[in-house]
Amino acid sequence: MFHPGGVHGARHIAQSLHHVKNAIRGTCSSKLLMQQKAAAAVAVESKKGTVTPPPTGPAPTAPAAPNSVEVYIDDKMVMVEPGTTVLQAAALAGVEIPRFCYHDRLSIAGNCRMCLVEVEKSVKPVASCAMPVMKGMRVKTNSPMTRKAREGVMEFLLMNHPLDCPICDQGGECDLQDQSMMFGSDRSRFTDIKFDGKRAVEDKNIGPLIKTIMNRCIHCTRCIRFGSEVAGVDDLGTTGRGNEMQVGTYVEKLFASELSGNVIDLCPVGALTSKPYAFTYRPWELRKHESVDVMDGLGSAILVNSRGGEIIRILPRVHEGINEEWISDKTRFVYDGLKRQRLTQPMLKNSQGLLEPVDWEDALSGIAARINRVPGQEMAALVGGLCDVEALTALKDLMNRLGCETLCTEESFPMNAAGTDLRSNYLLNTKITGVEEADLVLLIGTNIRFEAPVLNARIRKAYLHNNLRIASIGERVDLRYETDFLGDSVHVLAQLADGDHKYSEILSKAKKPMIIVGSSSLQHGDGTAVLANAIVLADSLRSKMSSNGDESDWKVLNVLHRHANQVGALDLGYKAGPSAIKQMQPKVLFMMGADDGVVQRRDLAGDAFVIYQGHHGDKGAEMADAVLPGAAYTEKYATYVNTEGRAQRGNVAVTPPGMAREDWKILRALSEFVRGSSVLPYDSLDEVRKRLAEIAPHLTRYGQVEDANYFRQSKDLVWNAARPGHSGQTLPAQQRELEDFYMTNTISRASRTMAKCVTAARHQKSTRYGL
Amino acid sequence: MALRNGITSMLRQAAIVKQHCPASRLSTTTTMHLDANNNDLATLNKTRLDTTEGKSLNEIGLGPMDRTKDFDTRIELDVQDDLTSFNGVPKEHTKGRTVRIYVPARNQMQSATNNSHLWKLDFDVRERWENPLIGWASTGDPLSNMQLNFKSKESAIAFAQKNGWEFVVEEPQPAWQYKHKSYGYNFSWNKRTRVSTK
Amino acid sequence: MSLIQKTLNLFRAIKQNGGILSSLKTLYVTDDLKWGTHVGTDKYGNKYYENNYYFLSRNRWVIYNPDFHLDYDGSQIPPEWHMWMHYTTDKPPTVKPPVNYKWMVPHQENKSGSSEMYYPYSTTRTKIESWQPAHLRTADTEEQNPKLFNIPQNNRIGVQ
Repeated sequence: MFHPGGVHGARHIAQSLHHVKNAIRGTCSSKLLMQQKAAAAVAVESKKGTVTPPPTGPAPTAPAAPNSVEVYIDDKMVMVEPGTTVLQAAALAGVEIPRFCYHDRLSIAGNCRMCLVEVEKSVKPVASCAMPVMKGMRVKTNSPMTRKAREGVMEFLLMNHPLDCPICDQGGECDLQDQSMMFGSDRSRFTDIKFDGKRAVEDKNIGPLIKTIMNRCIHCTRCIRFGSEVAGVDDLGTTGRGNEMQVGTYVEKLFASELSGNVIDLCPVGALTSKPYAFTYRPWELRKHESVDVMDGLGSAILVNSRGGEIIRILPRVHEGINEEWISDKTRFVYDGLKRQRLTQPMLKNSQGLLEPVDWEDALSGIAARINRVPGQEMAALVGGLCDVEALTALKDLMNRLGCETLCTEESFPMNAAGTDLRSNYLLNTKITGVEEADLVLLIGTNIRFEAPVLNARIRKAYLHNNLRIASIGERVDLRYETDFLGDSVHVLAQLADGDHKYSEILSKAKKPMIIVGSSSLQHGDGTAVLANAIVLADSLRSKMSSNGDESDWKVLNVLHRHANQVGALDLGYKAGPSAIKQMQPKVLFMMGADDGVVQRRDLAGDAFVIYQGHHGDKGAEMADAVLPGAAYTEKYATYVNTEGRAQRGNVAVTPPGMAREDWKILRALSEFVRGSSVLPYDSLDEVRKRLAEIAPHLTRYGQVEDANYFRQSKDLVWNAARPGHSGQTLPAQQRELEDFYMTNTISRASRTMAKCVTAARHQKSTRYGL
Repeated sequence: MALRNGITSMLRQAAIVKQHCPASRLSTTTTMHLDANNNDLATLNKTRLDTTEGKSLNEIGLGPMDRTKDFDTRIELDVQDDLTSFNGVPKEHTKGRTVRIYVPARNQMQSATNNSHLWKLDFDVRERWENPLIGWASTGDPLSNMQLNFKSKESAIAFAQKNGWEFVVEEPQPAWQYKHKSYGYNFSWNKRTRVSTK
Repeated sequence: MSLIQKTLNLFRAIKQNGGILSSLKTLYVTDDLKWGTHVGTDKYGNKYYENNYYFLSRNRWVIYNPDFHLDYDGSQIPPEWHMWMHYTTDKPPTVKPPVNYKWMVPHQENKSGSSEMYYPYSTTRTKIESWQPAHLRTADTEEQNPKLFNIPQNNRIGVQ
């Protein structure tokens, strides 16, 4: 039964003795010992007054501050910074105080009163969310007084809250429901003695995404605070006072924010719910699949909810490094695009030159027959921004085996000097969290509000709380915070790089400057000059920082990509931009998810054979001679590398529709049909990922950001090459206004919800109130 | 109790089986739950007298105890477990199945964190289809509804290994960092945190 | 009923059915041998007879068009004759022709078990809408495009 030898067994039993005595759970012997030590340490430390966070879960960790004060939460001592609120101190002690209006990422409102607690020597209960701690304060979160206070607050809230839980979309995941069960009274004193009904409030129409049932509103003002603090859109507010108070937009108006969907999550009751999800399912009926978003270059953490092989809704997940807990409306509501315009069966052109559905075998053998006739040098591959790393690897391996070396991405990148050879040139090097430390951000040619809404929310957060200064070059756009507008062309950037602009001094004084180059500006004719000047400017700022004695390895240069896996493609060695394809005029073009239309029929040889592999019928499928149905991001186990260089795993929520298959599998199958010894050497996802690790180990180090360096070398290469000239034209923002935000890729273009958003945004612009 | 004895003998069998075949797997630790029930403990004691070397029950921590105390006894066996050879699970549900071990995300629709404290183990997603009869969802995967909770990552991994499943561990993201906040920020004149709409 | 009467009936039946051989054939096909008045013939060539000598419910019958041979079926009787056969009326369509309204569809026999059989289909939208290449797309709005629904293109079960 045990390991040979009694010693082991004896030691083991001795351990379980400890185990039982200390009531500590452990699973392996060494771990057990460690845990015991840790427990002892806790015991010692708690005498000193520090607190260890709970083992799992998103519990906050306390910073060790020298001037901290001690507070007793339910007789448990915690040391906190002076000025901390009682509610935060309780959270540090592992006590969750019920709340409606308080939210960790919003300002303190203190108006719901649900967080009332008893504080010793205080006559009245105290709103713990707004009350700063005092030295030696003794808080009772579960005393009769506290319970009575909560019960009273709950009674007032429910008095004006409709009893429509059975038809409410929040039912099952409603804070009010849960807290009334936990903390509310078990009976009602509410009698509608004059038969005048409960408070009735007119519903507001605030756009195609958010459904409002204002009767249910409990005036927590979370949505208002979200709008004015995070989204930077002061559309929501209150009118009236007391029982007559209403939350609304004053005039009937769209809630014109790219982050508006987050108020659905924030709303603790069912006043703001999702319009597309309305009356579909209860939350407990849904399967939850943690995954990664592909709508922008950030790779936000999402939770895909499915039922019966259909995606029902998408929610955010907390990821402090990327999206905190927000996601953009495109991320949240695009899922209906996954059900339309789908490629569900392989297609091949018949003798009349018309696409018709065929079997997989016919499709693959038909394609192989064409491929086998063409030498590798006359083939090319073009990939879009939604392709996962596994598929990109399989495609590259296959094409390389056929002798083809022309594999390009749709998105361009200046290949001057180091180009994409140095990883530092195309990454968001300071990481997304760098925004919180930075004191100056220079945005170049990017409408970051629509290219990376969640990152923009973080910049706005730093703008509010850290007094972050933001400067911008490029077309003037509304980012919802004040920026120092420096100019609209590369000319200004070149001046900054040379240090002879009036803003140069401010830049050089910055302790932690960030330069964010939008990848949209690199598509422009002046793209080469943009990047070269940004590299030079970043290097000069870095050298200034180090000459000022800054030892931190602060990376100044950042490139913000707009596509989910552009970095992954560049990491794998894809050439950026279709220029190579246009030059060579290939006879066979393999397009994988390439739907932006950067390569047209006229760029190819006359009788060129175009294979399209992807999940949506769009520009790519329209020009294809053969169509291979692949899987969308919710349908495959896939790796995406975000703009920081962080490899993340997406998981399957539903299986691909019809005859569609996971992309790398299609390429693996195709490799059986084509000439020579081209069969790809992997049969399972594990083996593909082993291959990924061979090519670039960071692609399988999931969740971690792989840093890049060699900034100096990159700058030297720029110096050595001729300094690129520039036309001085305006750097155009590709997504200028809200209406440009919603439909940017093949999935969002197929989405009806996104189409409604575009219509609503256009309509709003045409009204007298504007956007 | 009979079941427990069965499991114990099964584990013994596993150890024997393992002696015959080369140790290809990592050595893992099996954990078993036991109630604070003296009968159970006595039974258990019988099964492992050979290793107690004449110590009293109290000495080995299995003596009578205060049943009101909250404790969780686990017996840890240093055996290399592989139940796949005799647990009767069809091959297609052991080899080639990948389980995901993770701490589930908090539901963003709510404030509380209750469902996000345990480690969860679930299986790779297989196809579901609409049953043509009345439109309900069908699946051919008996494991698709199985979600297991574990107190620690290690025990989840051990369970996966024991059952011959490939596993993927998703480490939880770093927790939210404490930020200093004050009600007064809403009204400060010199800060951008001043609230204009309310 | 006397034996003579029965014998007479047998002879009449054999005579009406055109001799011994064809009577045997009728017996084989219909499992019955009767004689009676020929009331009429429908558009399919089925012949209808009546003989009140037989008791009610046996006194009206049909001899299907010999082309059907053993493949006859009750649904091959058109509605006007169906009325007479089922005693809804005593006047056969030869006496009282049916009224023809413009909304009436021509009678069709039951196609079950044949290649043209009907089978039910879902009228709900498919969960996934497939993309169609340009030449297969209908000019109508997508809402009217039956390809978006589960309706099979030829409305028949594929031969397994």
